[in-house]
This record gives sequence, structure tokens and C-alpha cells, in this order.
Amino acid sequence: MRHGYILGILKGMGYIPHNSPEDPFIDHIKHNTAVQLKFGRHRNSERKKMQNQEKCGASCEFDDWSNFEDEDIMQQQSDIKAEEAQKVPFVADKEPLSALASEYQSGSPILLEKIKVLGEQYAAIRRTRGDGNCFFRSFMFSYLEHILASQDQAEVDRIKAKVEECRRTLQSLGHADFTFEDFFALFLEQLDNVLQGNESSISHGELVVRSRDQSVSDYVVMFFRFVTSGEIRKRSEFFEPFILGLTNATVEQFCKSSVEPMGEESDHVHITALSDALGVPIRVVYLDRSSCDSGGASVNHHDFIPTPGDCPNATSGSTETTIPFITLLYRPGHYDILYPK
Amino acid sequence: MQASRARLFKEYKEVQREKSADPDIQLVCDDSNIFKWTALIKGPSETPYEGGVFQLAFAVPEQYPLQPPQVRFLTKIFHPNVHFKTGEICLDILKNAWSPAWTLQSVCRAIIALMAHPEPDSPLNCDSGNLLRSGDIRGFQSMARMYTRLAAMPKKG
Repeated sequence: MRHGYILGILKGMGYIPHNSPEDPFIDHIKHNTAVQLKFGRHRNSERKKMQNQEKCGASCEFDDWSNFEDEDIMQQQSDIKAEEAQKVPFVADKEPLSALASEYQSGSPILLEKIKVLGEQYAAIRRTRGDGNCFFRSFMFSYLEHILASQDQAEVDRIKAKVEECRRTLQSLGHADFTFEDFFALFLEQLDNVLQGNESSISHGELVVRSRDQSVSDYVVMFFRFVTSGEIRKRSEFFEPFILGLTNATVEQFCKSSVEPMGEESDHVHITALSDALGVPIRVVYLDRSSCDSGGASVNHHDFIPTPGDCPNATSGSTETTIPFITLLYRPGHYDILYPK
Repeated sequence: MQASRARLFKEYKEVQREKSADPDIQLVCDDSNIFKWTALIKGPSETPYEGGVFQLAFAVPEQYPLQPPQVRFLTKIFHPNVHFKTGEICLDILKNAWSPAWTLQSVCRAIIALMAHPEPDSPLNCDSGNLLRSGDIRGFQSMARMYTRLAAMPKKG
């Protein structure tokens, strides 16, 4: 029906059949244009062009259609991002957990009940921007903040060794050094800077400032994306069934389309891979509307524990349970940082 | 800005070093502006573009490599995913699937792969896409071949 409608417009405008015989192929193209509007990803922008065409009349040249491009879509996306940026910085200020409760004041009673339970264990929340990179930004800030507070030189040495391993992984997967080395260097620089006692040492306040600086934050996010992608491909046999469960893609395609590009959201696969690659345990606390059979509300969490021998504090053969020092709050589609009491 | 310049300089050195590694791609940086590049790519064999040499123009944004380069065909080409007039290319890695793991060189390779494997379901040149979608392979190939001869091959005589 739409097809006929558009054909009608084109005819009404004298666009079809209106041929200038100098180029039979352009004629052919014009004729086919009526059919293609029905399909395809570019349908909307094409229709927009149609309306434009209609406004300025049949005298418009075909060339004017090029005024509306994918760039329109890209522009709209960046507008949406800018709007989101107004609301929350990459990493926000620490807020008491009550701030979370007030967000749901008129919301689901299950959530309010769960937030109350959360309040028994956790004191505060730090929000991150919902731009698809929230997991990585939360991890970045939480990890660096932990090093800044603990001044744990052994942990820094340990993770640096893991970072070198990740570098070799990427090299062995065929990445040219120059494609990832800038991102690695920037992360290592932040790591050195949070250790005190050097000229380049930074305060907690400066860490917050840097985490809100796009040129630092995006580069560190990209560092994590490279590390995550490298780990997934290195152990593709392990990750393949999880990836097949999520998407229909191969491991390679998944990394290309859902790990490496900025703004692609993270899932269990990403968290497992990053935690394993860097040997850093991560706790994710789930806040959703699922209720418990037992009646009383409880909040689930899942600990991502890297394979033994890789995690900090682990002595060989030890069965002692590792308690992650990074805790993230997951609400469907988003991660924030949680602070235990 | 500084980061993008440094990265592009590394790519420039790599291109110089690997000049003969890929005979199908000739990537050249503008003499006075490292953010402007052009490439000559050979049409892949066993396609209607075979024997043609196609020129691409790269405009690299200051946020590179976090943001993709803008790439257009300067040589006219009849292909479902290339705008017939502007040369704009519909390729996911130049849009939302971009990542810094790509380089200008590997983007050229991806474009050559796109020439060999058109995606008629997301057309920028819908006439070309329709020929393929309707199964008129011969029609598509002869159109593509004609434009390759007209625009991408040296004139005889």
C-alpha cells in the first residue's frame, strides 16, 4: 500500500514517468527509486528526502537528496548523548543509599523492600553515566579508588604483570602494537599516579576529575575493551557457548561488534573476561523486580572470581574465599558503584 | 588532538614500512595535513569492479581513533552500499561498529571486502540493491561493470 502511495506522489509530482533521455541509466534509477522506498535501513531518511522533495517541487534535482544522510542519524545520536551527559557525569559524586530509595518512592514495593535490605550492608552509591560504557567506567573508578586508598603496591605489581600478559595476548591475536598501546599506556599512567609519594601522584579529588575527563575516561574504557576482547578470543572455546546463548554471532564477530566498539553494553561475558584477564574479583549486586519464593525480600549477588592463582591475596592451594573489593550495583541495563559499610 | 596526531603518525610510519605488503591498497597521506588521506584500491577480482582502480577520500576527526574516519568514494561506483552521487559508504565499522582496533589500512581492506560482498538489504544505492534483491545478477553486474569501465579504468587510446 505504501508502495502505491509513494508511486502516486512521484507520479503526481511528474517525477515518473518523466525522463530526460540523455542518460538512460539515470532514468532507470529514477524509475526504480519508487520501488526501493519500501525496504531497507535507509527507508526513513529516504522518506524524509521524499518530503523535502515534495516541498520544493518537482524541479528539485535528484542531487538534493544527498542533503539527508547517515550523518543525520549520527547527529541525532550525539544529541541524545549530549542530553544524557547533562544529567550524569561519567562518574558522579558519592551519594548515601537513601538517594537510591528516593528514586523509587512511588515505584515498585519489591524494589523499595530490596533497597532496605541493601542498606543493611551498603552505605553509599556512586552513579555512572548510562552511555553503554558504565560497567567499564564503574570498574575503572572503583579499582583506582581502591588502590588510592589501600596503597597496595603488591596489587599494583600483580596487575601490571597481568597487563603485560594482555599485551602479549593482543599481539599473538595479530593486533599491531600501535592500535592499542596508547590505551595501555594511559591506564598504566593512572595506576602509577594513584600510588602516593611521587611527583605525579594524584589526590582522590584529582582522580574524580580525571574520571570525568573524556580524554582519560574514554581511553581507559577502551583499554578495558581491548583487554576483554583479547581474553575472550584467547579462550574462545570457553566463551563460545555463552556467546551463542546471547547472540547468534561467532566469538570473533561478537568481539568486533559487542566488545571493541565504544558504547556497547556489557554482559556476563564481558565481566567474566575482564575479571579473568586482570585477575580482579568483582561482586555484582542485582536490584530488579524479581521476588523471592521465601517471602522476605533478599538481594542476590554474584561474585566473579578469577581462576585460582590469578586472584590477589591467593596463596597457592588456598581454599580461602576471596571477597571482591569492587562491588557494582546492577539494575537491568546499568551498572553503578556500591560502597559497603 | 595530540593523541589523534600521534596515532596517525604511527599509522603513517606503518604504511611506509609495509608499502608492498598489500598490492591492492595504496594509502597516501596529504603532504600538509595528516588528517587528510587518500587511497587507491583495486577492484577485487571476479567482481564487476575487477580491473578498476577506485579512489577513496579519508577525513579523520580530531577524536580519532575513538571516532571513525569519514570515508567516501571519489571514483563513481555502482554498488548497493555506496551512494551513487556522494560516494558515501554504508559500512557498520565506519558508523556504530567502529573501534580503535581498526586502522586506515584495515578500513581499506574492509571496503574491498564490501565491494566483493554487497549487502543489498541496507542499500544506499537502492537501484543497485534492487537489482540484486530481485535476482537480476546479470543486470547488476553489467551496470557495475559499465561504471567501472567509465570511471575506474584508464581511457584507451
